[in-house]
Amino acid sequence: MSAEAHRDFACFGGRATVHIRGETTQSGEEAVDRARERLLDAHQRLTRFSEDSELTLLNRDPRAAVPATELLQTLAAAVAEAGGRSDGLVDATLLGGIERAGYRESLGEHRPVSLAEALAGHTGRAPASPDPAARWRLVGADPEAGTIVRPPGVGIDSGGIAKGLVADLVAAELGAARAYAIDCCGDIRIGGSAGQPRRVAVDNPFGGGPLGELRIVSGAVATSGISRRCWVGPDGAVAHHILDPASGEPAFTGIVQATALAPSALLAEVYAKAALLAGPEAAARWLPHGGVLVGDDGEAEFVGIDSGTTAIAVAA
Amino acid sequence: MDPIEKLERKREAQRRLRAQRQRAGLLRGRVVAISLIAFVLLWGIVFAQMATGNDPVLGASTPTTRSGSAVAKEAIETTVPKELEPEANELEPIEEEPVEVEPEFEAEAEPEIEFEEPEPAPVTTSQS
Repeated sequence: MSAEAHRDFACFGGRATVHIRGETTQSGEEAVDRARERLLDAHQRLTRFSEDSELTLLNRDPRAAVPATELLQTLAAAVAEAGGRSDGLVDATLLGGIERAGYRESLGEHRPVSLAEALAGHTGRAPASPDPAARWRLVGADPEAGTIVRPPGVGIDSGGIAKGLVADLVAAELGAARAYAIDCCGDIRIGGSAGQPRRVAVDNPFGGGPLGELRIVSGAVATSGISRRCWVGPDGAVAHHILDPASGEPAFTGIVQATALAPSALLAEVYAKAALLAGPEAAARWLPHGGVLVGDDGEAEFVGIDSGTTAIAVAA
Repeated sequence: MDPIEKLERKREAQRRLRAQRQRAGLLRGRVVAISLIAFVLLWGIVFAQMATGNDPVLGASTPTTRSGSAVAKEAIETTVPKELEPEANELEPIEEEPVEVEPEFEAEAEPEIEFEEPEPAPVTTSQS
């Protein structure tokens, strides 16, 4: 019987963890190393914090149609899909806004604040709205020409979309694995031919023990939140990295964390972010496969599932 | 031929006919008895196999199941010709059969253990 191989490493600005059990222990070890290399390679190519990454070069390119690798084309297609699936709430073309808010490079130059401080420092609560300009509609890939099409000046922020997307791409190459979990900084794709459920703890944004535990056989889970990466911006206001597309300002909607289940990690990320941005009244509508919402007051609401629920296989 | 000699020949013919019928009946009885014993023994093995929870059909590997069938088939093939041999030798191969078959079925228990794979490592979803 083979053992499950594990790798834990820094990637996409956080920690990525890969768990794979192959038909044999050796095949699992080889697969987990390939997955790690694939994730690190994708990070290097899709980060906006590197001067020579493919994404940075794309964002700086003055042409309307830019030759791009298959991975970058897939990201561009994912930007359009995320916008379409979320009615424009998940908008990956808000790069200018996130940089104006102070998230330009690392956050080392800004004073980090805790979630409690951030919530206390911002009084208003309102659901986010889509940007009427809907620039995400203008982003797309032309696979035949091998180019990405978007108006010059429209910058793409890979953000959570890239994490979910890459988790899916890596998982797609693990057809022979008995069990796997590709955890790309909280966006997790789970599956395997053994059909065994894997326990997934839902993190508590206010600290302490997990909010609950899910058991997932196949599918994906992702969490979007504002508990990390809160800082005091250049203007002295509290900021974080999830923006209201309509205003371009950090969104304080009354929900601080949303966890979503979905057939793919990309879709789970989109649902989670849309639920957070929609605010308490409309958040549940963005969790068609179930999820967990955490409000400003720390109360957790399980939508469509129970904590410790029996094994879930999220259907496509 | 005088009537006495004719009667003697007739009696002799009747005696031979009776003896022939007796031998045929004896042989037929032996064949039936041996077939019944072989049948009961083989199904007894199958019953014991199933009762101990080692159903070959539920085994993980197809070759193992095929091996079990092959053993049973072989047992039948080796039993039938021996029914024509003298009675004293006929039962011996049948009594040896369980010794040949049981190790095959015991080997099938191993794949079932493979179903009990360890639980996958838990993961945590948190803000990305």
